[in-house]
Amino acid sequence: MAGPATPLSVLGAQCEDERARIRKNFEHGAGAKATLLALCELADRTLQLVFKDVLKLHESPADGLSLLALGGYGRRMLFPFSDLDILFLFANDKTEEEFRPLISEFSRTMWDLGFRVSSAGRTIDECKRIEEDNAEFHLALLDRRFLDGDAALFEKLDQRILPPSERTARPFLFSQLHRLTKERLGRYGNTIFHLEPNVKEAPGGLRDYQAAYWLRQIMGDRKDLRGSSAAEEQLAADAVEFLSSIRCFLHYSNARNDNALTYESQAEAAEKSLGMRGSAQRSAAEWMRIYFRHARTLNRQLLRYMDQKMAAPTSLRERFFSAARSVTKTPPPVTGDFAVRGGQIEVLNQQALSDRTIMYAMFAEAARTGTPLGREAERSISYVMTHSELPVLNQAIEWETLKEILAGDFPGVALRPMHRLGLLMEILPEFRAIDSLVVRDFYHRYTVDEHSLRTIEHLQELAEPPDERGVSFAPLWKTLDRRDLLIFALLLHDTGKGMPTDNHVQGSLEALETAARRLGLSAEEEAEVHFLIEQHLAMSATVQRRDIFDPSIVSGFAESVNTLERLQRLTLLTYADIHAVNPEALTPWKAEMLWQLFVATSNHFSRTLDRNRLHASDEKSMLEQVLALEKNAKQSDIERFLEGFPRRYLAVHSAAEIARHFALYQKLGAAPLQTELTAERHGFSLTLLTADRPALFSTISGVLAAWGMNIIKADAFANAAGVVLDTFHFTDMHRTLELNPTENDRFLKSLHDVLQNKAALEPLLQSRDTASRARPPKVAIQTRLSFDDSASAHSTLLEVIVQDRPGLLYDMGSALARLACNIEVALIDTEGQKAIDVFYLTAQGKKLTAQKQDLLREVLQGTLG
Amino acid sequence: MMKLEAIIQPSRFESVKDALREAGIEGMTVTEVRGHGRQKGHTEVYRGREYTVDLLPKIKLEMVLPDKLVNTVVDTILKTAKTGKIGDGKIFLTRVDEAIRIRNEERGESAL
Repeated sequence: MAGPATPLSVLGAQCEDERARIRKNFEHGAGAKATLLALCELADRTLQLVFKDVLKLHESPADGLSLLALGGYGRRMLFPFSDLDILFLFANDKTEEEFRPLISEFSRTMWDLGFRVSSAGRTIDECKRIEEDNAEFHLALLDRRFLDGDAALFEKLDQRILPPSERTARPFLFSQLHRLTKERLGRYGNTIFHLEPNVKEAPGGLRDYQAAYWLRQIMGDRKDLRGSSAAEEQLAADAVEFLSSIRCFLHYSNARNDNALTYESQAEAAEKSLGMRGSAQRSAAEWMRIYFRHARTLNRQLLRYMDQKMAAPTSLRERFFSAARSVTKTPPPVTGDFAVRGGQIEVLNQQALSDRTIMYAMFAEAARTGTPLGREAERSISYVMTHSELPVLNQAIEWETLKEILAGDFPGVALRPMHRLGLLMEILPEFRAIDSLVVRDFYHRYTVDEHSLRTIEHLQELAEPPDERGVSFAPLWKTLDRRDLLIFALLLHDTGKGMPTDNHVQGSLEALETAARRLGLSAEEEAEVHFLIEQHLAMSATVQRRDIFDPSIVSGFAESVNTLERLQRLTLLTYADIHAVNPEALTPWKAEMLWQLFVATSNHFSRTLDRNRLHASDEKSMLEQVLALEKNAKQSDIERFLEGFPRRYLAVHSAAEIARHFALYQKLGAAPLQTELTAERHGFSLTLLTADRPALFSTISGVLAAWGMNIIKADAFANAAGVVLDTFHFTDMHRTLELNPTENDRFLKSLHDVLQNKAALEPLLQSRDTASRARPPKVAIQTRLSFDDSASAHSTLLEVIVQDRPGLLYDMGSALARLACNIEVALIDTEGQKAIDVFYLTAQGKKLTAQKQDLLREVLQGTLG
Repeated sequence: MMKLEAIIQPSRFESVKDALREAGIEGMTVTEVRGHGRQKGHTEVYRGREYTVDLLPKIKLEMVLPDKLVNTVVDTILKTAKTGKIGDGKIFLTRVDEAIRIRNEERGESAL
């Protein structure tokens, strides 16, 4: 006589048939939610049948044992190849021991029926205790659902044991979930924009939804909880449905719990229009843009919940003192339409956001200080950006305003949310071409827009380099001139990848052309950005394919770069571009090679400064430009002015500046000393033209020092006719000129008087000397003096590295003048507390003899310390 | 079977890789390394700081070859990696007892 049917023989085939039916429905257009529910119901039914059979077999009632579904299974979101997360809940240890054989058989049977059971066993007492070593278990327990067994036991846990424990442990659970989520997001670089994202684990994936769900449950009925609007809830639901469809598709395609959305899967999903009912077929790249839109929704929702703070439980004593403090606490300063509160920029006047200048000001503040926008501020801006019916004032951004954002110390802190909110694409429509753009590439890990933003963030982190790779490059970033041009180049450098062109560099240059015209960049600014975009792969190619220790290679590269300032920008661009390909792309080896090429090229510029001189008649393009600006001038006069200047002069001055210098030069006949003082972003610049004479450089430096000016950079050039053109960039340490505009004229008069021997310099210096003495340096710099006779055919190169201080250049210049050393060319620079000064010197028209060099070394060592 | 290890100048890597591919060699392991032989390093001074490069950057190629291909590969590398200057690098050959493909446990030269 046949015995009762076993689960396997009855259920096995039924389960397979049902799974096939569910799969077929999904592949014929059934939604993800319905599919997951159907799989869940199949698991529930099967589990209940098996459980009953096993209980019957063991002749055991279920008293003291409950089966609970946890995690995704508990939420009725069971994916085709996901595990069944089950908790066996026991009344006590004795019950656990008694049911052990039954549970083993149950689990084996379920596995045999094709269900991957992932189970845990706990007594009800063990479930009371919520501590760090079981935080993840208790988070999964938030999704508990009764399956079968002792209903009363489950009710006791669900209604009487867990609610008070969970209420008390809310701050702990919140902080643990916060920590676990931050770790997970960090493992994926805190970005949703992966080229082959993991739809479960990566930022923007289903875990984000799960974590937000848990956070909301933990925070419970808090009155100050900033929830989502109905529209936001619908967006999130749509996102979950879309991503769930993808995950089901991946499980079925891979026949396992594999959630990586590979390039091949993307192509297949796009072909099927996966997740998009009744929609026309799209390319894989377009379909992925939709993916990223949904991922962004889930990630933003999660981050908003994570931002909300959970107060730790306080003792009565703490509450008392906190209350006492709050009575006397001064509220944070509030000005205008936004303010900084709790380390975030918050909007005070929502209506003011209709004026784009307010938004730009908020982002300029973020870029300047590194203060991020608060989530509610972003939400407010997002509302304004997505409601086109609202009035908009001052929508067109000026270049001067955008420069404020790009030139800040933290441009990424502004640009990333600007992109997230659509504002970046509004002011730079060229960026739209690479929005969420997937370009299949073995090396790149991120979408093109994400890559561009990461380049900028890698530069801003050079303020405090996180590892050895950035240490050498940090001073370059901190002292870089015209950061805004570099950041602008990084935003545009890969926009060509989103255009129908074979050569993405050409496409990016076209984007620059339209952007520069619309924003109003000057011709010189556009030329600088053009160079950076055009050459953005050149330095990397040189490092990889050329012998960077070969002087001829360095020389050729230097020629292509032309100036030290361009080299600095290109080096940082290359560093950032490689770094942002993927976390491993910039190996310490590559970083060192890049640095070596930079050093060799930089030194090449210093050492050839005197050698490369202008032959004015060869510079036809520049002559034409200057003639166009100085219409009454003769070409021969301009040639005479330019003849013999170091080539660097042309490289660092625009045609407009050269025209102005020429205009001053023309007036030398009437007044032998011509000066021009201009206010700059971080200080002033003084340009001076006159006939060369001994001690000229030191005298000018002395007057500047006497007026409390700190020289940051300077160039001193002389042309073939002996006309000197000196440019000094300095900061006004005591704000004399800045606060008293009338002092500008007095300053220039003072300079003229001293240089024309109408006034003495020493009394001026003495009055400043006491005031500026002896502020101890933060970083001690050792003095280094090095002479090189091979850098130039007719002068000796002297490089001085020394502690910067007010009056330094005057002291050096005076020492050189005392020893009758003529400065043919000078290049003065500062890096933090370090002065880096290069002089090409002659004595009686020749290189310095060895004795002269020794004497000069001794004198300078004594002067400089 | 022979294991070939070649230390070459980084600037020659792309040419060597292309030449090996043309010679029918697809599999190799590439590592960024530092080292020196007779080619000593040098010191570059930048803004008062000395940057001493005594271990020079090189590329190491490793591959295991059937005996019949060894001479072809050695000749290819010699031809494409050579610049004639000190620092061009070296090639080392060692005998390999066994090679096994993990995917299907194939052994010997057919696993290469």
